[in-house]
Amino acid sequence: MKNTIELKHVSKEYPGFHLKDVSFCIPAGTIVGLVGENGAGKTTTIQAILNSIHFGGEIQIFGKDNRVAEKEIKQDLGVVLDDSFLSEYLSAKGVGAILKMMYANWDEKKYDTYLKKFKLPSSKLIKSYSSGMKMKLKIAAALSHCPKLLVLDEPTSGLDPIVRNEILDIFRDYILEDESRSILLSSHITTDLESIADYIVFLHEGEIVFQLPTSDLLEKYGILKCSEKEFEQIQKEDVIRYQKRKYQYEVLISDKQKMRKKYPFAVIDKATIDEIMLFYVKGEK
Amino acid sequence: MKGLLLKDLLNLSSYKTTLFVIVLFCGIAIVGTEAFSTASCVICVIVGMIALSTFNYDESSKSSKYILSLPVTKKEIVLSKYVFAVSSVLLGGLIGFLLSVLLVPVLNSFRSESKIVLDFSELFISTIGGMFAISLIQAIQIPCIYKYGAERGRVQMFVFIFLIVILITLIGALLNHFAVSISIQEVESFCNRYGILLLVLAMLVFYSISYFISYQIFQKKDN
Repeated sequence: MKNTIELKHVSKEYPGFHLKDVSFCIPAGTIVGLVGENGAGKTTTIQAILNSIHFGGEIQIFGKDNRVAEKEIKQDLGVVLDDSFLSEYLSAKGVGAILKMMYANWDEKKYDTYLKKFKLPSSKLIKSYSSGMKMKLKIAAALSHCPKLLVLDEPTSGLDPIVRNEILDIFRDYILEDESRSILLSSHITTDLESIADYIVFLHEGEIVFQLPTSDLLEKYGILKCSEKEFEQIQKEDVIRYQKRKYQYEVLISDKQKMRKKYPFAVIDKATIDEIMLFYVKGEK
Repeated sequence: MKGLLLKDLLNLSSYKTTLFVIVLFCGIAIVGTEAFSTASCVICVIVGMIALSTFNYDESSKSSKYILSLPVTKKEIVLSKYVFAVSSVLLGGLIGFLLSVLLVPVLNSFRSESKIVLDFSELFISTIGGMFAISLIQAIQIPCIYKYGAERGRVQMFVFIFLIVILITLIGALLNHFAVSISIQEVESFCNRYGILLLVLAMLVFYSISYFISYQIFQKKDN
């Protein structure tokens, strides 16, 4: 399987923050979720992918260096940023006219179809739109030149569950239309990623903690609950992270089935991505 | 780059009414004071200043991050701002010049005697003077905005202009101190002969230096 994006040893330093040696890839036809707490480095990673910051290391998109073939790559890239767009003082019609001049593959009909589908008034100024409408317009703008890759920075933040669900459906449809397409999706809302992402890349304090298939995380990872005495019987290599609670120990494990057989005395529950993240951030090793 | 220019133009379309009101007031002022040449200069400066407000639109919408994700290079982004600024100066000069030229016959048609005679050479010099003034302001302000942002950049621009005024005053004082005498008549004759050419050349030099500095700042910046 070809990789749409490959990050090799990407680093970036700001006062009080260091993105350290980040390497991961996005295979063609997959959705990769980028998760991490505030300030973990998600946006910096996306900015490096978009070559809008200076960074160390190398990033290849569609097999080309993103510093060398920047303009060519961006013709096939659709980008949605949570906090940035063209201007609040433009109308959707104006946005279409501007982007038509920038993208060689701009599909005016497709854009109009999205505007109608999302019920976005084309002549009203964007500043009068609701948050959900603004996000839908960003998505319409990102999809109307048929990009091969979507880079989405917090596309569902601040939106209600109904709009979030609609937006996730749009992303699913985008991948179904052409299975060679890929999505990099950064989000705080891990439940969204659980339902849509094929892989999860977890960033913590500027470093990659893991890059794993979502199905592995949800099906294999678990939380083992036991007493202090029972905890002492658990082998160290089986413990990814643990937390001492008031009445019990909670242990993050990577293979529920195996652990159930090995430690029949313990209760093992399913772990959500949020819980896994919390164990990595707050738990002890 | 065409897309970026269209973005700035559409952003400024909310200024349509403001611009019309300004031109209307300038027209009234021209009629009242008969200062035809000054009005073209003022209109030129105002239009040039309005063009710089595109930076405020970009800043309030935090659009630079998004623009950098589009298929445009950093060079094109900076260049588009200069093309827009220079176009605004040319447009301002043209509006000011035409307004004066069109108003005089209209006014004269209401007068039976003491008709106004428009001095085209004075009007032309005044328009070029206005264009020079705003191009100098733009050439200083655009790099300041790239360095410090739209709001702080404006303050920094005034600091730079203040420093330039001090420098010129110092040069004048030094010339006086060393008793270097300059014949006003010679300066006037030189200006009459080469003034316009020098102003146009100076504008080109200012914009070129300014563009180079802005590009260096933008290139090094993490957006």
